[in-house]
Amino acid sequence: MAQIDWDQLAAQSRRHRLIKNSCLILFLTLVSVPVILPFFWVVVISFSARTGGVESAILWRACAVLVPAVLAYGVAHLTLPRIAHRLLAGAGILGLTALGLWLSVGAELHLNNYRFLINANLIEDIRGAGTVGGQFPWVWTAFGNSLLVALCSTVMKVTVATLAGYYISRFQFRGRNGFLQGLLIIEVFHPWMLTIPIFLVIYWVGLLNTLAGPILVLTAIGLPFFIFIMKGFFDAVPWDIEMSAMADGATRRQAFHMVVLPQVRPGLIAVGVLGFITGWEEYVFVTALRTGNSYWVMSTYLYYVAEDVMGVDYGLVAAVSVFYMLPSLVLYLACQRYLTQMKLGGIKG
Amino acid sequence: MAEVELRNLRKDWDTATAVDDVSIKIENGEFLAILGPSGCGKSTTLFMLAGVYLPTSGDIMFDGARVNDVEARLRNVGIVFQSYALYPNMSVLQNILFPTRFQKTDDAQARAHEMAELVQITDLLGRRPSELSGGQQQRVALARALIKRPNLLLLDEPLSNLDATLRLSMRAEIRRITRELGVTTILVTHDQLEATTMADRVMCMNKGRIEQVGSAADLYLRPDTLFVAGFIGSPPINLIPPDRDVLSLPDRCHTLGLRPEALRVSEVGMPATVLSVEPMGREAMMTVDTPLGDLRFIEATAQPKYRPRDLLRLTFDNADTILFDAKGQRIPEAHATLKETAYA
Amino acid sequence: MTPSNTRQATNALLFLGPACLFLVCLLLIPIIVDLVVAFTDMSQTVRVGEFTTDQFGKLVKANPEALLGFELRGSFYRALSLSAVYVVCTLAIFNVTFALILALTTTALPDWLGGLYRAIWLMPRMAPSVVYGLLWLWVVDPTDRGLLNQILLAFGLDPINMKLDAPVTLIVFANGFIGASLGMLILTSSIRSIPQHLFYAARADGAGSLSITRHIVLPALRWPLSYITVFQSLSLLVSFEYIFLIMGPARSTMTMSMLAYTKTLAPGIGSGQYAYGAAITLILIGIGMVSALLLYRLTNMKRLLTRPRIEVQ
Repeated sequence: MAQIDWDQLAAQSRRHRLIKNSCLILFLTLVSVPVILPFFWVVVISFSARTGGVESAILWRACAVLVPAVLAYGVAHLTLPRIAHRLLAGAGILGLTALGLWLSVGAELHLNNYRFLINANLIEDIRGAGTVGGQFPWVWTAFGNSLLVALCSTVMKVTVATLAGYYISRFQFRGRNGFLQGLLIIEVFHPWMLTIPIFLVIYWVGLLNTLAGPILVLTAIGLPFFIFIMKGFFDAVPWDIEMSAMADGATRRQAFHMVVLPQVRPGLIAVGVLGFITGWEEYVFVTALRTGNSYWVMSTYLYYVAEDVMGVDYGLVAAVSVFYMLPSLVLYLACQRYLTQMKLGGIKG
Repeated sequence: MAEVELRNLRKDWDTATAVDDVSIKIENGEFLAILGPSGCGKSTTLFMLAGVYLPTSGDIMFDGARVNDVEARLRNVGIVFQSYALYPNMSVLQNILFPTRFQKTDDAQARAHEMAELVQITDLLGRRPSELSGGQQQRVALARALIKRPNLLLLDEPLSNLDATLRLSMRAEIRRITRELGVTTILVTHDQLEATTMADRVMCMNKGRIEQVGSAADLYLRPDTLFVAGFIGSPPINLIPPDRDVLSLPDRCHTLGLRPEALRVSEVGMPATVLSVEPMGREAMMTVDTPLGDLRFIEATAQPKYRPRDLLRLTFDNADTILFDAKGQRIPEAHATLKETAYA
Repeated sequence: MTPSNTRQATNALLFLGPACLFLVCLLLIPIIVDLVVAFTDMSQTVRVGEFTTDQFGKLVKANPEALLGFELRGSFYRALSLSAVYVVCTLAIFNVTFALILALTTTALPDWLGGLYRAIWLMPRMAPSVVYGLLWLWVVDPTDRGLLNQILLAFGLDPINMKLDAPVTLIVFANGFIGASLGMLILTSSIRSIPQHLFYAARADGAGSLSITRHIVLPALRWPLSYITVFQSLSLLVSFEYIFLIMGPARSTMTMSMLAYTKTLAPGIGSGQYAYGAAITLILIGIGMVSALLLYRLTNMKRLLTRPRIEVQ
């Protein structure tokens, strides 16, 4: 056999690995920038814009500081093998970035756009009394309503999906196969598709113009999907622990909440986070299930703020947007790792 | 074929060190087994040899050239996994032919059939992996690893998923095939019998470090460390703190090792009371209470003669005792002798 | 009734009752309601005057020379073809193709880095829809304040007005940025569940990244990809939220679901033609049934219907 030139192969491998990783990172960065830049932009506007217009030079100046910082951290992470060194480098870069931001745009930043948080009649002050929606509520009213809608629908969704997911995963009952197949079919009927008949049903039972309407509908959004997700989590719990709980004297209901439920905590969190974010952002049903302005939530609040003062005060609209998306983004970032543990139920693999 | 050398090889994970300062030279055509308990770093070492893990430091040398940076696909290494890792969407023949897609091979088909013959699966070539038994999948994996005439064959616990009788025949089979091809082979296993029966040399690892490298007899008769002594041999060796009232031995001896099969019944010897008897088929293992402490002792009979609470006398050859110092290192050329007081 | 039967009944009621209540009241009953209302003249007063097929008459008109004996009316024909273009483009570019590319590239990188890019791509889905719509409005603002136009100007190009000149492209991108992330998540978890040893074996066998993708990864993604295709095409077909928030009731992006929404419930402009909306919805339900049957075929029934191992209740 011919002598193998290992050194040449090593050089080839090094080159290949470098090219591959650089290409991947370059590609992903290029396609990700359009996704993240608008979000960054609106944050910058909310802290920098003054009444009348948008000064986008600040955005580019901030980017000029942030992009090198992100790149520097990426290089540091790739070249430093030790975690302690990486943390140190990260802290250093963070400090430099803060300093750079302070020097480049620090003078432009202000909190004036967030005055809507403490001034209840801001919109009326800006536009006079004749706003589209009649009288605007204080932002905290809308915030509270949104929180109520999101939390109630989340709690109900998690409860309902967990109970049903456990039952169809673990119990034998007459008609189980039929129920599962029916669930599979009904999964495709998204409430968006059924906006009109759902409106009629809610109207006929007299829940129009109450928060109960959106809460109930939000609970039903994606419910079959979440039942399947929970079934997947329950399927993964070993039968042995449930059997041994029963051998130890627990009934099935006790085994469920004492032994099995703690095992599916990641599933509860995942469904809870998705449920909350769906409820928090809801727009279609909160507008469809009210006539006039019987209740305000954050989505309608922002929508009408944007409509009313757009072109006059971008900074205010941006600040409301940031305030509105903050809870769901924070929740998402905090619980991100749970979301990736979800498995689709039942699909061939 | 290649001569393989590891120099001060080290692999750190984020929180722990998996492989620590491993150095060994493997001759061309040699069959080396890496033996150790789970988590000792043996599979990590194997994956670094294959090129799927990158060493933190140290060198991997093939024929004297450093190959740390050479990608797995260019190393010309064959691997067989415990799970066999057959491609589920390809037939047996396509599986075997897969490596030839990436190498210029004019006689790929002929070679595939040659390999199939070598591992005796010629009648299975059209099937899918899911239609094969464990032993058959194992043979396919072996054929796939060998078709490109690898420099080095790596076997990662290849027999662990097979049942006991099949394991016995595959052991001989793999040995025959590697001899026939003369390929340098490294086997990773936690099964001492597998290591000692198949390999020319055994490298015993614990907690990422090499404990001892040697032949099966070396490891059994002259274990370098307490760990090797305790890990090799079944039932395990008796390791006892020596009682200097009944034993004469060097001062620095800290632990006395005595294999259960080194003990034998004799007219003259130390008194022993049987505590328990465990029939093991061909022989029986007894636990006896002696002046040295509680000892395991093998009685070579299918029909145990003794019962609990029976009294007997035991002795052993001085040369069979293995002595270890306080650091757990074997004290070479030193043995223990029973004193007269032990006979009382 | 024996005690065991009683327990079985109460268990079913306790565990399955709430789910059944929601599914029946908010999914099944609305489907039936829609079926009935579509054949009435219900309008703003929400009262049924008479049963009629008039609503379908607004969608199609009889034409003995056409292939099936009727032809589509102009506005409905436009909505139908617009829906088709929008769904097919978004699906082909983003929800399947780009989702696959994202899943493949992010899993090829170290986990923390790949996870970072995936987190970025999930952000639009996690941000509230009104904010997301607003961001797009600002980005494509036709003046030189718009982010897009600023970038175009920086490269020496002419500013464009996407809302006017390329409305379908705009809604394809806006929905695609969100749509890609679901497929990306599903495919990432499918790639992750491929046994690691298969990758090691393939690399030791000499396969490069592209060969591994072709021979190991893609075969494992066959079912998830079909699932995403069917499920996402239906979601896109029935979703109108982002289209409404970005484009408003513009005729240039009046897809079927937008048509139903703007004729009924859209805030400010909905004119309460419930029966007309219900008729369009009925067509969507029909398409949904077809998708359901397709999904049915993609399901591993044996695993889905595995019998539970504890028999007592």
